[in-house]
Amino acid sequence: MPNKIVAVIKREYMTRVKSKGFIVSLFLMPTLMCGVVLFSSFLAIMEDKTKEMRKLAVIDETREIFDQMQAAVAGHPTFQHKGELVYQLSEVLDATEEAKTGLRERVNARDIYAYLEIPKNVFANGEVRFYARTATNFDIQRALRRIISDIVRNKRFAESGYSQNEVSQLMRSVKFNAYAIKSSSGKEGGTQVESAIQTGARLGLGYLLVFVLYMFVIIYANSIMRSVLEEKTTRIVEVIVSSIKPHQLLLGKLIGVCSVCLTMFAIWVIFGVLLVMNIEPLLSIFGIDSLPTQFIQIIETIKVSSTEVLTYFFIYFLIGFFMYSTLYAVVGAICGSEEEAQQTGAPLTLLVVFPFILMFQLFRVPDSTLSVLLSHVPFFSPILMFMRVNVLMPPLWEILLNILLMCATILLVTLIGGKIYRVGILMYGKRPTLRQLWQWTRY
Amino acid sequence: MNLLQLENVHKKFGDFTAVSDISFAIEKGSIYGLLGPNGAGKTTTLRMIMDIIAPDTGSITFSGNRHIRDFLNQIGYLPEERGLYRKMKVRDVILFIAELKGLRKQQALGEIERWLKKMQLSEWENKRIDELSKGMAQKIQFITTVIHKPELIILDEPFSGLDPINMTLLKDLMLELRDSGSTIIFSTHVMEQVEKLCDRICLIHQGEVLIEDELRAVKRAFGKDSVEIEYVGSLDPIRNSVWIQGINDFGQYAEVKLRTSEDYRLLLQELVEKGVDVTRFELVEPTLHEIFVQSVEAQGGAVQNAE
Repeated sequence: MPNKIVAVIKREYMTRVKSKGFIVSLFLMPTLMCGVVLFSSFLAIMEDKTKEMRKLAVIDETREIFDQMQAAVAGHPTFQHKGELVYQLSEVLDATEEAKTGLRERVNARDIYAYLEIPKNVFANGEVRFYARTATNFDIQRALRRIISDIVRNKRFAESGYSQNEVSQLMRSVKFNAYAIKSSSGKEGGTQVESAIQTGARLGLGYLLVFVLYMFVIIYANSIMRSVLEEKTTRIVEVIVSSIKPHQLLLGKLIGVCSVCLTMFAIWVIFGVLLVMNIEPLLSIFGIDSLPTQFIQIIETIKVSSTEVLTYFFIYFLIGFFMYSTLYAVVGAICGSEEEAQQTGAPLTLLVVFPFILMFQLFRVPDSTLSVLLSHVPFFSPILMFMRVNVLMPPLWEILLNILLMCATILLVTLIGGKIYRVGILMYGKRPTLRQLWQWTRY
Repeated sequence: MNLLQLENVHKKFGDFTAVSDISFAIEKGSIYGLLGPNGAGKTTTLRMIMDIIAPDTGSITFSGNRHIRDFLNQIGYLPEERGLYRKMKVRDVILFIAELKGLRKQQALGEIERWLKKMQLSEWENKRIDELSKGMAQKIQFITTVIHKPELIILDEPFSGLDPINMTLLKDLMLELRDSGSTIIFSTHVMEQVEKLCDRICLIHQGEVLIEDELRAVKRAFGKDSVEIEYVGSLDPIRNSVWIQGINDFGQYAEVKLRTSEDYRLLLQELVEKGVDVTRFELVEPTLHEIFVQSVEAQGGAVQNAE
């Protein structure tokens, strides 16, 4: 590689790695990710729990359910905060419309939290109505539904002559767990069964990496766009292209910035491997000797699957990076200011955001025709194909075909983009129209 | 010997003709001025010399060689509008560009030290570009242009935006570089700047060459048909003199264009006869600006943007 490209790579690399931003994101990104995971699980526990006493009015037209319900609520964890009951139930005997209007006003004035209407025909098919200021308190709704259903069912069973004890014996649910079948590595045609925890651990790692891929492509493609723009607006690009060819400059930039990302990944991977390998001695420092079996299973799964997942991650990251960054570099080259570039670049952002949003639906049906087709759309591939690799490994020929397709796309993008870039960096004034861009490719 | 030669160079951008049939040659060790108003095609011409853009037709040769790409390390270029990486340190920026020009790191560091000392910027070596004043940044940029001891130095509007001190500094540096063997081509639209600097000039207008010759020859060809008059009182008595073609009066100083260069004696005589209190009367060469305006008018065009 010519020394001059090396000079460009070195500059792009050093200015970024030496910047505070690099050091900050090196530590901040993992901290933030852990933070988000911890915070969301914290939220899940916290959900709709409150310290203050909430009043729940019940209009029980049957006059049979309220007492049993009060007892059941008192013993139900959903209605407790740190072991203390925080819901107070009161029965309203007046079932007139005026009474209901009054209750509504009290809910609205936050005097009571909610009220419940249990109709006379609830034992047949009547609708129990729950009124509150928001209908999104699903935990409470689910708990109340179960409690009332149990009471109603018990009554039905009792009328049919079954005892309470018999009912709970007969009504036990079956145990149900999902296991994923994978073709086992090594022997031909063999299969391997994966438990739910293993699948969870593997998918968790996969999602984390898809997220990292998505973030880095967006962040660093934008960084390249700004750097192209800086060179253009300061006119320093004219000095550079009087020494090396524009496409060499672009290549040097892409490689330089890509190396920055790879450096950060490498540090994380090394740190992660060290952490996973030494998890037991590390934990024993904190006085934890024996780990829960589930946790051990998760660690083992990560140990086994990470080599493959990381390999695919690097492949799809590199491809995605070069594909999007070239486009962003072109945007930087045809614009005259940061604002203009942000606007022009917005449609490109969709190319990254769109597959990321699709992923959340498509992972349920990884082998549907739609998933397969969309994953072969070149600009969606880095994210969607990587998702498929994580969820349900596509056949090898499909992966290879896809990689080939993406490489062809990159070639096409760099050929056309490189030409536009070459002209754009030396053009000032009005942003070119699409027609002009087409002309530029033929200068 | 000609270091650089352009022959019938032509460049169109879409339907717009930027440069039309330009030819000139630059002798080794000379200073060459490329003059013309904004939009005349100067920058396009310079960019073609550096192979940043390719001419549609015509040839550009460097030391007789058509493949200028191979000689880029021997060319230094200062673009019209200035800028450097604002967040980088002075030394790193110069080093980066020096490396792009093919210098080895050790060699470059020595040169950087020498140039910073020469420009009295040594203590700024580790400061960031955005901490520098505009004048300092301009000096740094000039260093990046010449750090690799180029044979050919291309300066696009080098004097624009410089304060008088830096302007003098740059002029002296240009002469110094020429005397040490470098060849310089520079463009400008402020023609007064170049009068004393250029060995040879090329006047271009709307992409076409109007005049291309040695500066002395150009001036000689247009003859001494202007006089500068310093006076006390008023010039009114001779304002309608038959010998005068045009007059540019500044109150106590006037530039007068004569009908022919022979008429100066007659004008002087008339001044004395009409009793104008003249303190200085000097026959002068036309300014390049005047030559330019005349040439454009002679071609039947109007001068736009000429400053």
